[in-house]
Amino acid sequence: MAAAETFHGKTLRNAFGNVFSFFILILIGVLAFSIRLFSVIKYESVIHEFDPYFNYRVTQFLTKSGIYDFWNWFDDRTWYPLGRVIGGTVYPGLTLTAGTIWWFLNSLNVPLSVETVCVFTAPIFSAFASWATYLLTKEVKGTGAGLTAAALLAMVPSYISRSVAGSYDNEAVAIFALIFTFYLYIKTLNTGSLFYATLNAIAYFYMVCSWGGYTFIINLIPMHVLLCIVTGRYSSRLYIAYAPLVVLGTLLAALVPVVGFNAVMTSEHFASFLVFIIIHVVALVYYIKGVLSAKMFKVAVTLILSLGLIVCFAVMAVLIALVASSPTKGWSGRSLSLLDPTYASKYIPIIASVSEHQPPTWPSYFMDINVLAFLVPAGIIACFAPLSDASSFVVLYIVTSVYFSGVMVRLMLVLAPAACILSGIALSEAFEVFTRSIKFQLPGASVKPQVDAGETSSGSAIPENDVSKTDKTEDTLKERPARKNRKKDKEPVAVEKPSIKSKIEKRLLVLPLEASILAIFLLVLLGAFYVVHCVWAAAEAYSAPSIVLTSHSHDGLHVFDDFREAYAWLSHNTEVDDKVASWWDYGYQTTAMANRTVIVDNNTWNNTHIATVGTAMSSPEKAAWEIFNSLDVKYVLVVFGGLVGYPSDDINKFLWMVRIGGGVFPHIKEPDYLRDGQYRIDSQATPTMLNCLMYKLSYYRFVETDGKGFDRVRRTEIGKKYFKLTHFEEVFTTHHWMVRIYKLKPPKNRIRGKTKKSKSKSSGISPKRSGAGKKNPWH
Amino acid sequence: MQRLLVFLTAISLIPLLCNSFSPENPTDRRLLVLLDDFSLKSTHSIFFQSLKSRGFDLDFKLADDPKLSLQRYGQYLYDGLILFSPTTESFGGSLNLGAVLDFVDSGHDLILAADASPSDLIRNVATEFGVDFDEDSSAVVIDHTNYAVSETEGDHTLIASDNFIQSDVILGKTKIEAPVLFKGVAHSLNAANSLVLNVLSASPSAYSSNPIFKSSRPPSLTGSAISLVSVVQARNNARILISGSLDLFSNRLFSSVVQKAGSSHKYKKSGNKQYVTELSKWVFHERGHLKAVNIRHHKIGETDEPAVYRIKDDLDFSVEIYEWSGKSWEPYVANDIQVQFYMMSPYVLKTLITDQKGLYYTSFKVPDIYGVFQFKVEYQKLGYTTLSLSKQIPVRPFKHNEYERFITTAFPYYGASFTTMAGFFIFSFIFLYNKSQ
Amino acid sequence: MARSTGKDAQALFHSLRSAYAATPTNLKIIDLYVVFAVSTAFIQVAYMAFVGSFPFNSFLSGVLSCIGTAVLAVCLRIQVNKENKEFKLKLESIYRHKVLSGISADAERDLPAERAFADFVLCNLVLHLVIINFLG
Repeated sequence: MAAAETFHGKTLRNAFGNVFSFFILILIGVLAFSIRLFSVIKYESVIHEFDPYFNYRVTQFLTKSGIYDFWNWFDDRTWYPLGRVIGGTVYPGLTLTAGTIWWFLNSLNVPLSVETVCVFTAPIFSAFASWATYLLTKEVKGTGAGLTAAALLAMVPSYISRSVAGSYDNEAVAIFALIFTFYLYIKTLNTGSLFYATLNAIAYFYMVCSWGGYTFIINLIPMHVLLCIVTGRYSSRLYIAYAPLVVLGTLLAALVPVVGFNAVMTSEHFASFLVFIIIHVVALVYYIKGVLSAKMFKVAVTLILSLGLIVCFAVMAVLIALVASSPTKGWSGRSLSLLDPTYASKYIPIIASVSEHQPPTWPSYFMDINVLAFLVPAGIIACFAPLSDASSFVVLYIVTSVYFSGVMVRLMLVLAPAACILSGIALSEAFEVFTRSIKFQLPGASVKPQVDAGETSSGSAIPENDVSKTDKTEDTLKERPARKNRKKDKEPVAVEKPSIKSKIEKRLLVLPLEASILAIFLLVLLGAFYVVHCVWAAAEAYSAPSIVLTSHSHDGLHVFDDFREAYAWLSHNTEVDDKVASWWDYGYQTTAMANRTVIVDNNTWNNTHIATVGTAMSSPEKAAWEIFNSLDVKYVLVVFGGLVGYPSDDINKFLWMVRIGGGVFPHIKEPDYLRDGQYRIDSQATPTMLNCLMYKLSYYRFVETDGKGFDRVRRTEIGKKYFKLTHFEEVFTTHHWMVRIYKLKPPKNRIRGKTKKSKSKSSGISPKRSGAGKKNPWH
Repeated sequence: MQRLLVFLTAISLIPLLCNSFSPENPTDRRLLVLLDDFSLKSTHSIFFQSLKSRGFDLDFKLADDPKLSLQRYGQYLYDGLILFSPTTESFGGSLNLGAVLDFVDSGHDLILAADASPSDLIRNVATEFGVDFDEDSSAVVIDHTNYAVSETEGDHTLIASDNFIQSDVILGKTKIEAPVLFKGVAHSLNAANSLVLNVLSASPSAYSSNPIFKSSRPPSLTGSAISLVSVVQARNNARILISGSLDLFSNRLFSSVVQKAGSSHKYKKSGNKQYVTELSKWVFHERGHLKAVNIRHHKIGETDEPAVYRIKDDLDFSVEIYEWSGKSWEPYVANDIQVQFYMMSPYVLKTLITDQKGLYYTSFKVPDIYGVFQFKVEYQKLGYTTLSLSKQIPVRPFKHNEYERFITTAFPYYGASFTTMAGFFIFSFIFLYNKSQ
Repeated sequence: MARSTGKDAQALFHSLRSAYAATPTNLKIIDLYVVFAVSTAFIQVAYMAFVGSFPFNSFLSGVLSCIGTAVLAVCLRIQVNKENKEFKLKLESIYRHKVLSGISADAERDLPAERAFADFVLCNLVLHLVIINFLG
C-alpha cells in the first residue's frame, strides 16, 4: 500500500518534472536568442564584420538564382582577373540553411527579406545549440547536468562573440552541428543502435557542409575509440558507433565539393582510417577469443603475431614513405599551424597576419568562459566517478580543445561547449550533494540516509535495484514505470519518503547542514556573477558590427558610418565594370555593398595575387601605377584612421603588406621601411616609407585638416606633409577621412622632350609657370 | 524681302554645321594660321592655295593679335592650327602655351615651323611634343657636302635632302623624285620617345652651328642626330608637324631648281611642294586615319553575343576597320592585325583574316583556363592611328552536368555498386524468411 | 619447433572450424554476405591498380559501397547474435549506468531483432542513396 502511494507520488513528481524541464528548455532557448540581440537594439539590423558579407552575397545569389546556378556559380567580380569558382570553394551549409529558411518562410507568405533571415540565423541556431548541449550532457550524466550545461552554453561569451545577430558566419550553424554530432555519437555508443549511427553520419555530413573545423570531429572520435580500446573498454557498441560513421561519413564528406577527394587523401583523415583498421583487428581478436578456448587462443596469438608483425611493418613503411614524400606531409597549412604554432609565422605570413589566428592571452580565457574556467577541473573529476564511455569522451574533448584554443584564439569557440558541459556536470553534482545534505538533515526528516549507488538527481532518491534476489521481482515491477517517468527536477524540494527499502551498500556523502546552505548560496552567487558577466560581454564587448562605429563624446553619441558612405559612393559614381583595388580585408564588403569587381578579397586563396597588391602599395607611385594598370584597376581604396583615431587602418596593417609582398617579390624588403627596427611615419621615417604609395594615399592633403598633420593613431606628426600626387587623383574622401578613394590617371597624351623649360620674360608664359615646378616623370 | 533675308541667313548657317570636325568626318576644316607678318601670305601663297583647294578654311591672323582665341564658351573655333610665327615671343589674346597644348590634347592637329633664332615660346611648344631645338639660338643647319648649289647663297645653309622616312601613309604613294630644299634650324628627338618620327633627316655630314662667326665650342647636334622635319602622333591620335624651316613651305623653294652639290643632275623643281602637300594631307587626317567598329564575338553556330563563355568553347570574333580617304570611309586592307585573348598575358594570339571589304575575323577555341578574359586588338602601325580595342568576357569552368555522363572505364564500379544493392535486396529476403532456430 | 608450430596451427584451424560450425544459420548467411561484399571490394581495388584511378569518385563509391555493406552487415550480426551479452539484460554495470544517465534501460535492453533489422535497412538505404549520388 505504501509502495503504491509512493509510486503514484513518484509518477506525479516525474510528470511534473518533465513538464518543468520542458519549460526550462524553452526558456533557455529564448535566453540564448535574446541575449544576442544587443547589436540589433544598439545599432541596427545589419550584417557585421567582413566574412558575413560574403556569405550574405552568396545567399542573395542562391535565393535569386536557385540551387543549380549556385552549385555551378563562377564569380567573375572578385579576384580579378582570375575569378573564383564559388560552388567548389565555399562551405555551403550556412548558405543552404539560411536559403531554406527564407524559402520556407516565403512559401508561407511571410515576406522576410534575405538580410533579416541572415541576421537572425545565428541566434536561432544558438538556441538549437543549447538544446543539443542539453541532450548531450543528459547522455553523459543526467537531466540536471543537461539543463545546467544548456543554460551555461546559452550565455557563454565565447560563443556569443561569433553568433550575435548579424554575425552571419559559418560558426553560427557549425557549433550546433558539432554538438549535435557529438550527442548522436554518444547516443549510439550508449544504445548500440544503428539508427542513431545513421543519424550520426547525417549530422556529420551537415557539419562537413558547414565548417572547415569538421576535421576536429573526424580526429576526436577516432582518438576516443582508440582510448576506449586501450583502456579495455572495447565493446561491440563501440564498433557500431564508429565503423558505419567512418564509411558513411567519408562518403558524405566527399560529396561536398569543397572537401571532395580530400576526404580520403589528406592527412587530416588518416587517423580515422587507421583507427578503422585497428577496431576491425580488435573486433576480430575479441570474436576469436570468444569462440576459442584459452589454450587455442594463445596458439593463435603467437601465430598471428609472428606473421602479422611483418606485414604490418611493411604496410606502415609504405604509408610513411608516401606521406613523407609530400612537402607538408599531407597536412594543409592551417592544420599544420595548429599542430606547430610557429609554422605559420615562418612559412605563411598570410595565416600569421590574421588576428584571429594569434594565440590567446590569459585574460581572454577569463573573458570568454569566465567562471567555467574554475568549474572545468571539478567537472573532470565528476566525470571519473564513475567513468563511462560517454564521460571519457567528454574528458578527451575538453583536453584537446584546451590545447587547440591555446594555439589560436579563434578556437576558443570549440572550447566553449566542452567547458559548459563539464561545468554543468560539476555544478549539478555539487547541487546534488548539497541539497541531499540539506534534505537528510532538515528537522522533520524521518529517514536515514538512503543508499544510492552513484549519484542521483537532487531532491529524491530514485529507487535502485541491487543484487539482492528477494527484492528483485517486486522492485522490477515498481521500478519500470518509475524509471519511465524520470525525474528532472533539480531544485531542492521538500523531503520525500523513500519508496523502497534497499540494502545499504555505500554510505553517501552528507555534509553538515550549515555548510551546505552556505555552499548553495555561494554557488548561486557564482552563477549570478557569471550571468552578469555574460550579459555585460554580450552588450558591450561583442555586439559591435564593426561596419558602423560609435563613440561617446561630451556632445553625445557620435556615429561613424564612413564605410557604407564610401561603398555607396562607389556604387553610384563608378561604372559597373570598374575594378577597385584595396587590401584584402575589404574585398568582401566591396563586392557585396558597392557591387564592384575587386582584385583580392578575404578568401586569401591566392598568395601571389595578394602579394602583387601588397607590392603595389609598398612601391613608389610610378611603379604602383604600372602594377595597377596591368591589372586594369581604375580605383584604389585606402582606409585611414588618423583623423579620428581608428586603429585598424591600413597604415597599421602596412607592415603585413610589406611582408606578404616581400615573400613573393624579393625587391620589397622589410628593413627598408623601418628606422632602427622601429616602424615610424614621422620625420624620422625612411625615404622608402615616405615615398611608398600607402603613405602618400593615406596622408595626401592630411595637413589641411589641422595645419600640422597630427596622426591620432600613431600619435605623432607625419613626416612628409606637402606633396602632390602625379599618377593618382583623389576622387572621394569620407566625412571622417576614414576611407579614401583614388583614381588612376590615364597615361599622358604627349611625351615631353629633354629640354628644360626656359624662363621667359614675357607675361604670356607666366600662367604656365605655376605648373612649371611640376616634374614630369613620364619618360 | 524679310523671308529672303531669313532664308539667306539660314543658308549661310548651314556651312557652319558642316564644317565642324566630327569623328564621322575626321578631316579638319577650319584652320587658324598665325603669322609674324602678313607678307607670309604672299610668300607662301602656293602652300596656302593648295590647302584651300582641298577644302580648308584658312583664317590668317597675326600672332600677337589681341583678339586671338581658340575657343569660345568651351567650343573650339578651329580644327587645326598652323604656327608660322617663329619669332613671336608671346601670342596675343587668350592664346598661350597652355592653350595650344590643350588644343592638341583635345584631339586637334598642329603644324609648327621654326626658323633661324626661334623664340622661346616656339621652342617650348616644340619641347612639349618631344622635339628639342638646338639651344644655340643663332645656329642653323650647315652641310658642306649635301648643300644645294645656288647662285645667291654660298654658305651651305641651304640643304638638299632626300632622307625621307619610308612610309607610304605619311608621304604618299608617289615617290618624291627631287630632293627637298631646307634652310633652317636643327632639332633632335629623344630616342626613347615612341610617339615622334623623323620624316626628314639630315645627312651624316650636317651640323648645326652659327654660319657667320666661328663658334668656340664644337656643335652639339651633328650628323643623323639632326632632324629637319618631324611629326608626332599623340596618344589621342592628334598629329603635329614640326619643321625647322619656314622656307620649306615658301613659294621660292617650291619652284626653285635643285642641284645637289657633287652631282650634275639638275631637278627642274624641288620636291618641296609634293613633300609638304603629302605631309599636310597626313597631318590633317586625310590619310592614315583608321576607325574600328562592330567588335563582335559569338559562339560558333549562334549569332547572339553571350554573357559568358565556357572553357573549350569554339568562338568567332570579328571587327570592321575602315580608313578615311579624305572624303569617305574606305575598307582598310592589311594582313597584320592580330587579336589576343588576354588575361594578364595572351593565351591566344591570332592574325585576323580580312575579306578585303573591311571585315576582319577569325575563330579559335577558348583555352582550358577559366577567368575573366579580354579580346584585345592593339594595332600600332607606322603612320596610322593607334587602334586599342578591348572587350571583357568571363570564361567559366564546366558545370557539374557538362562532364561525360558515363565513363567507360568506370563500368566495373557501376557494376559493383549495383551488384551490392542487388545483393542487399536478396540478402534481406533470405535473412527475413530464413526458417532456422 | 616448426613441427610443434605446425601441429599447433592444425589444432588451431580444427578448433576454429568446429567452433564456427556451431554458429546458427542466419549468422552464417550474414557472414556469407560479408565475404561477398569484401571480395567485390578486392576485385575493384585490383582493377584500379591495373587501370589507374581516373574516375576516382566512381572508384571510391564502388569500394566504399562494398565496405559499407560489409560493415553494416557486421553490425547487424553483432546485434542479432543471441550470444552477445551486451544486448541482453542484467549486466549490472551497464544496466545501472544506463539508468543513472537517464536512459530507459528498456529501450535497448534487449534490442529486438526486428528493430535491429529495421535500422540495418535504413542505414543501407542511406548508404546506397549516397553511393548513387557520388557514382556519376
